Order: sequence, then C-alpha cells, then structure tokens
Amino acid sequence: MALPQSLRVSVTPPELELVASQQLVEIVPLIAMEKTAFISGAYGPLRPPNKAKVPLWMAVNLKLKKKCHIVAPEWLNVEFLQERVNLETTQPTFSHLPLRFAEIAKVILDVASNDLDNPDKIRSLLKDLREARQAKSRDGLKELDHSELSLPNLCSMEINEIRPYFVQAMNVLTQLVRNPVPDPLR
Amino acid sequence: MDWDEEYELLKAGRLPPPGNASSSRPRRPIDNDDDVQMAGPNVQPEDDDEGKFLGRPDAFPEDEPKDTPLDRLIRHWMNERHCPDILPAQEDLLAHLLDHLRRQSEAVQLLRSDPSTSEDEHMRIMLVQTEIERVKFIVRSYVRTRLFKIERYANFVRTNGEIQTRLTAAERDHALRHAKITDQHFVSSVLQGLPETQSHLDDTPLFVPPMITEPDKSRPVFVHALQRCPRITLPDGAKLEMDKGHISLMPYNIVEQLVARGEVEL
Repeated sequence: MALPQSLRVSVTPPELELVASQQLVEIVPLIAMEKTAFISGAYGPLRPPNKAKVPLWMAVNLKLKKKCHIVAPEWLNVEFLQERVNLETTQPTFSHLPLRFAEIAKVILDVASNDLDNPDKIRSLLKDLREARQAKSRDGLKELDHSELSLPNLCSMEINEIRPYFVQAMNVLTQLVRNPVPDPLR
Repeated sequence: MDWDEEYELLKAGRLPPPGNASSSRPRRPIDNDDDVQMAGPNVQPEDDDEGKFLGRPDAFPEDEPKDTPLDRLIRHWMNERHCPDILPAQEDLLAHLLDHLRRQSEAVQLLRSDPSTSEDEHMRIMLVQTEIERVKFIVRSYVRTRLFKIERYANFVRTNGEIQTRLTAAERDHALRHAKITDQHFVSSVLQGLPETQSHLDDTPLFVPPMITEPDKSRPVFVHALQRCPRITLPDGAKLEMDKGHISLMPYNIVEQLVARGEVEL
C-alpha cells in the first residue's frame, strides 16, 4: 500500500543514516566555493585551507570527489572510545555517547578512513562497544513491565534494533494487565 | 506520486493564501518566526542550560536539536513513523519546504542551461541537486506514512470528527472516498449475498475488536525528551519527570500531549 510492509514497523538503518547525515561536521576543503543557500541553511564560503562546518552528506559528497578532508568529530578517536569501552564493561548502566554515533561513525569510516588515525582500532572498539551495549539491552528486557522502562543514554541505532521486539512485548503485557484472565478454577 | 502532484494536492487543500503571500511567510532558508509551528526547542534559554549543567555536563554539541524547517520536518517525519495515531498535519511547513524545493530546482535548471557556468558552479549545482533529492525523499516518505495510516483507519476517520481536524482537506477527501470505495467493494463482492443482519460493516460484537479499526493509543513508543518535561502519570500510578535527553519506553497515550507540544520526539 502506501507504505511497504518492511517500513511499517520501524525505521530502516539507511533512513537513520539520512537523518544523521544532517548533522554538521568540520572539513578541510581543497577547493574554493562561494556561500550557497541550501534548503537547510546557507553554507560556505569554502576557502582552503581554513576549516568549515558543513552537513555530513555534503562532506561525504565532497570527499568522494576528493575535494575535501573530513576532520573527525571530537568523540571519534581511540582514547575517547577506549575510555567508553572501559566504562561500558565495568558499569551496569549505558555510558554517555552521542545520539547518532553509530551512523556517523559508519559513514566516516566508510568514506574517510584515511582521515582518521588508526581506523582499524576504532572499528574494533566500536564493535566492542556495540556488543557490550547489546548485552545490557538484553538484560534490560527482564525489567520490562506494562507501564514504563527507562533506557538512559541509548543511541538511535540501538533503539531501532530493539524497537519491534520491545514494543510488541510491552503491548502484550499491557493487554494482559488491561484484561486480566479470570481464574478458570474459581 | 510525483512531488509536483503532491504540491498541487497540498496547495488545493490549503486555505487560500493571503493576497501578498510572500510577506506572510518569510522566505529566508532559516526560519524562526513561524509561530503556528510547535514550540519545540525554542524555549527559554535557561532551561537548556540547566539541563546541560545538571544532567549532562559533557553533552555533545551536535546533539542539540536544531530548528530549521528541514529539521522540524525530519522530526515530524520520525514522529509520524513511530506513532500509532495520526498526528496533526504540518501543512505550512510542507508548503514552505515544497516552495523552497521548487525555487532551488528552478535555479538549478537556469544555471545548467546557461553555457557560461564554470567548473566550480557545477560543484555547487551537484550539491544543490543532492540536497533536493534528500528533501524530496523525506517529504515523500512523510506523506506516504500519513497516507498509509489514513487509508488503514479510513472508516474511523469517516465517523470521528476530532481526527479530521488533524488532516488536510485533501486528505479528508481521500479518506472519505477510500472508505466509500472499499465499502462498495465489500458489499458488491460478498455482503450482498449474506442475510440482512450480517451484512453491515460497523458491528461491534462482544469479545472481538470492533469492525471499525481505531488507532491503538496504548501501543508503546520510545520517547526521547528534547527538554525538561512536566510530570506525567504512568499506568501503575508512579509519576515520572523527564530531563532533557531522557529516553524511555511507555504507552503512547501518556505522552500524547507532550508530542503535540513538541517537547518529546518519538
């Protein structure tokens, strides 16, 4: 019908990437460009070698045409991620990460891994982070009840992963509470 | 559906614009004075600062919600995707963006046909075209989601006035016609052969959900608070006050008001 079946329950990762690509990143342009009015705002002028802030989709486009270098956001480096992995494995709560770190990290690693120092280590740290957080979400399922479940510091890709299952589970629990089945023995 | 047709559809559904349309809606790309829009993050600055210092001393700068029309549309699009109910239509926002799209594509056409454009211009043209495609995708997906929900709940829309206030005139028309056509189809294919008592489409028998499908407002949704929210009461009686950046899973009917005011996003 109007919306294909695959999109009805939750958002797809490419769509999340689309939303995440609206965020601004810093680039070092290699070409000059005048200030241009886009729909989301006016960006530019680009004057190498000065840095500029542009949306991620624009940075990716320019990078693919070899017209800029992307500067990694302040959280995308080995020390920060290592610290977060340590926190994640030692504490039972989720550590504080940018809301869309998974999408932004994936996009930058795909396109601009030569602009990052030590991209392989970053990839493996991100993987560790993801696994640790997934284990915690699975534990969180135990606390699910019919009224509310707080999940601080979760990020959008993770929410999307657990969304269909948690929503359906909570739905069933709510229905059970709303229509308690009378005891058949009474 | 071609986005030109979407534009015509919306334009037909809109109230007749005032005589000097350009003065009522500022045409700058960054648009902060539409006060028909939801309040969103345009709140007193001390709330934001308080949240930042008390709750999240190391808040990431890129996580601050932005307020350009496109960001607002993205937020409404995500809300619409996750919500079990139909949210109020953002006619003005859509009209503004479609206008902007049209102007950008006309500008691109002009520049492409002009033989004197230089190499750098081609770069800019390419970026503008990429953005046009992105915005078109978002608009299309938003309209499709709404359309899907409207068609699914067409019978309910026909009988319920409150939900009709949340639809544009064109959407209302479509819902009524869709409901009528499906009813006719059911009647002519199956129901006219059945006995009189069973050939209606609006029974409410016991123990089974009613035949008119109603949006299920108690479906749980993931809620992300964009600012500090007032207290809400949960089904088991507890009260919850959400700070900025709080993420939670709860039935939709609890946060319905907050979503309408733009204080949380789904």
